[in-house]
Parts: sequence; C-alpha cells; structure tokens
Amino acid sequence: MLKENIIEIKKSLFRISDVLELCSVYIFCFFLNTLFEYIKTLDLESYILKEFLNKFTTYQKLIVLLFTFIVIVFHYQMLHRKKTEIFCKKLVGDTIFNITIRYIFDCLMILIFIYLLSSLVNIYFNFNLINNLYLVGIFFVYIIISAREVQKYENF
Amino acid sequence: MKIFKFIISKIFLRKAILGISMILLLCMANYTTFTATRSILSTYQGYQETKYINQNGVYIANLDPDSYIDMDVITKDRTQVVYEYLNNNFNYAFYTDGFVVTIPNIDNMEISLSYINEEYYKLNQFELSQGENLDFDYQLDNEIPVLIGKGLSKTYPVGSTIEIEESVLGRPITLKVQGVLKQNAYHSNYYALNSKTYYNFSILVPVNEEFINNANIDLQLNGLMDLTILDTTNEKIINLSEILKENLGLEFNFFSQKENYDYFNEYYIHSLKIIAITTLILLIVITCISIWNALVSIRLMLKDFTINFLVGLSYSKLRKIFYSYFGILSCINLTVIFIFTAFNRYGCWLRKDASFATYGLFGLIGIDWLALFVVILSDIIIGIVIIENMLRKIKKVPISLGVLQ
Repeated sequence: MLKENIIEIKKSLFRISDVLELCSVYIFCFFLNTLFEYIKTLDLESYILKEFLNKFTTYQKLIVLLFTFIVIVFHYQMLHRKKTEIFCKKLVGDTIFNITIRYIFDCLMILIFIYLLSSLVNIYFNFNLINNLYLVGIFFVYIIISAREVQKYENF
Repeated sequence: MKIFKFIISKIFLRKAILGISMILLLCMANYTTFTATRSILSTYQGYQETKYINQNGVYIANLDPDSYIDMDVITKDRTQVVYEYLNNNFNYAFYTDGFVVTIPNIDNMEISLSYINEEYYKLNQFELSQGENLDFDYQLDNEIPVLIGKGLSKTYPVGSTIEIEESVLGRPITLKVQGVLKQNAYHSNYYALNSKTYYNFSILVPVNEEFINNANIDLQLNGLMDLTILDTTNEKIINLSEILKENLGLEFNFFSQKENYDYFNEYYIHSLKIIAITTLILLIVITCISIWNALVSIRLMLKDFTINFLVGLSYSKLRKIFYSYFGILSCINLTVIFIFTAFNRYGCWLRKDASFATYGLFGLIGIDWLALFVVILSDIIIGIVIIENMLRKIKKVPISLGVLQ
C-alpha cells in the first residue's frame, strides 16, 4: 500500500493532454522558425512575393520570439491548474524540491524530443542545426522561470 | 462601466500574462493583414497607373537580361541614329528618371529629375495642385517649364526659376516652375507594380525632340530602357529591334498587349493570390491559437466569472464586457501598427530618402489608412470568433461546478 502511494506521489504533474499541449506549442514555434529558414532559401522570381515575405523574414527573430509567448502561457496556466495537486502531493509526503525537479525534467524531455524532431526536419532540408538552437535556450529559460512558480504553491 | 472596471481589474489584469499573449497574437494577425493589404493595394495602384500599356499596338521595350552593354560600342552618334529612326517611324512615350541634382530646398533633400515626353505626359495625366499643365513646345535657350513635387513648392512657388549647373544637356539650364504636382504623386515600376517612387521631391522635365537630340548619352540610353511604343505593328517592332541591335549592340525585347496581359495574369494575379492565401492561412492559424489562449483564460477565470454570475452578472452583460475588453486590446494593437508605419514613413524623412518621403498625417498615405481599415475589419471578425467561443465555453459549465472549480 505504502509502495503504491510512493508511486502515486512520484507521478508527474503532466497528463497526456498536457504533454500533447506542450508538444504542440513547441512544434509550432520550431515549425515557424524552420518555415522562415525555408522561405529564405526560396529563389522567388516574383518581386511582389519577395517584398511581401521580406517584411516577415526581416523580423524573423522578433516574430518567433513573440510567438514563444504561447509557451509562457502554457507553463503559466498549467501550473495554475495544478496548484491543488502540488499542495496535495506535499501533504502526502512529497517535497517541493522533488516536484520541481520532476517538472523541469519532464519539460526538458519534451523539449529535447521536439528539438530532435525539428533537427531531423532541418537535416532533411539541409538547414543549419544551430538555427533552432536559440529556441531551446529560450524555452529552457521559460522552464526555469516557471519551475520557480512551483514553489509558490507550497501553501495552498 | 463599474462592473466593466471591476472585471478588468479584478479578473483580467490579475492574469495579465493571458492578456499580453492575446495582444501579441492580435499584433501578429494585424501586422500580417496590414502588410498583405498594403501589398495588394499598392500593386492595384500600379496596375491602374500603367494599364494604358494593355492596349492594342502598345509595346514596351525591355533590355534582354543576357544582353551585354558595351559602352565602347555605344556612342552619341549611334544613339542619335536610333532616336532619328524612332522619331521618323514611331509614336513613343519617353520616361527616364534617377538624375539626381543638388538644389537648395528647405528639407535638404536631394532632388531627382524625371524626363518625360508629351506622349508619356498625356498617358499619365498628372494631377496638379497649383499652376498649369506642361508645355512641350519651348526653346532650349529659354527657360524650360517644369512640374515640381509638393516638397519643393515652398522653396520654388509657381513662376519661380531653378538654376541647374550640370544638366543632361552638358550646360547650365534654367527651369521655370509651371505647376505643382498633387502631394504623394507617384511612379510605379513596370516590372514591380507594388514598388513606387514618390514625386514629392522630384522635378518633371518635359523633353521634346530637340531636347533629346541635344542631351548626353546617359539620357538617350536610359530613355530606351523603359520606352513605350504606341500605335504600332509587330513588323515595325521587329525592324526597331534590328536597328537597336545594329547600332547599339543591345538585344531588346518588346512585349505586346497579349504578352503584357499574360504576364500580368501569370505574374501579378498569381503573386497576389499567393499573398491572399498565405495571409488567410496565417490568420486562421493565429485565430486558432488565440481561441486556445482565450479558452485557457476561461479555464483559469471560470471561478471568478461564476461567482459574478451568482451575484447578478448576466451573459449579455459579460458579452458586452468581453467585446469592450477585446476592443481595448485591438486599439492597443492598432496604435502599435500605426506607430510602426509612421516610424517607417518618417524614417524616409530622417534618412533624406527623397524618393520615398511622403506627406500625410504622420507620413501615412492613402493605402496605409485603407490597410488600417482592413485591419479593423479583420479584428472585428477575429473578435467575434474568439468571444463567441469564450461565451460558449462559459455557458457549457454549470454555475455550481464553476464555483467549485
């Protein structure tokens, strides 16, 4: 019984739906960045199209950065929804430190998985693998900042 | 108003991240709509300006991209032969620009001279804000009547003269201001209709046969690049191509009405379709993300809303509050787009970029305002989609369950 409880306690904060949601937002951001890289390689004959796309590719980093805000929204809303669960876990013997570490680990696993997927796409299109790396850095910062939020829910 | 203030400050602003993300998403949607609309409108304007080329018997000269310009072969005598042939056999519209001169003006802009002949002038019907139409029947030794852009009208009012030391005639000339063009008069590139140069700091110099004959080789050669031959036949055009090849060693393509029409359909319509479809897809994607963001907000704010329902808030009132809230977010975004555009337009003045400097409220011109109007329409549609989805989600949850959450 005690063993089962320990297993329950050690369960991640992530449910399947959360994993899928986080995967989707990561995929969207990586996809957007790769799409920009793809557009830059296009040898367009149409001046109008070139000009139109140029208005976006000029601000590529800024646009992608602004869209990464949806990842912040995900972390924010997820932890907000899980505050009761975090408190309950603590009540039954888990520690905030362990919950935080598990949360960071889960986020990083998803991030690495999606990054590897995006790298495969980059390899397929012969794009530089470093192109998407800055997004990993940004998302890592988001994870660390959101992990600090976990500690906020120590007291319900 | 009181309940609106209460819900904004106690519910929405307490979860500001969700509001900020909605602003950013809307900003993306607005920027996409604005950019696409401006591209389409600008292309349409260019088409309207140059649609005279789409007539039977009109051919546009275009230097073959593979043709090499050998300046050792091209001499004044040879270009003169070409122009004599043109004058004797054709009716043609002559336009060439980009001859920059430095003449004093209050904005310290470099002034661009554009040379046009009578046919080109008739085809384009320049609108004037002051003065009279151009007169092409003048003597080279006298003052040459010109039209100027609005930017020069304060320094050089109608009737005043402008001295130019170095001209294409190889000697100083005196220009007399005959009229002032309407503000933001523009010229579109034949091969990039969305690309424009504005005449606000330009001088339109009328050229006649005598002027062209006395002009230097730069003007004569540049004039051939965008030459429009009117009321002619394919046989005569083939002969002209041979004359050009024989005398200047240059391979010119002349596009007929059908070719121009096909080119427009293939190139412009195709490009505009891609822009419209891309924009639509981007807007749908951004709207979907915005709906997700809005539903996340509802998920987190449901308890607050349902408590308010318990104390008398109605769905219709909440709908009004949502629309007002979305209206505020839209206004913030419109302001951002407005500032961004004004900054870009004003940047041309700061960089002294005379070809792109425009007049208008904060430098914004007609197509900018029209594009902003389209942005407002798109915001209304996006707003309706998002808010109705939010309300549907709220209505689905029973009040008791909402409170418990």
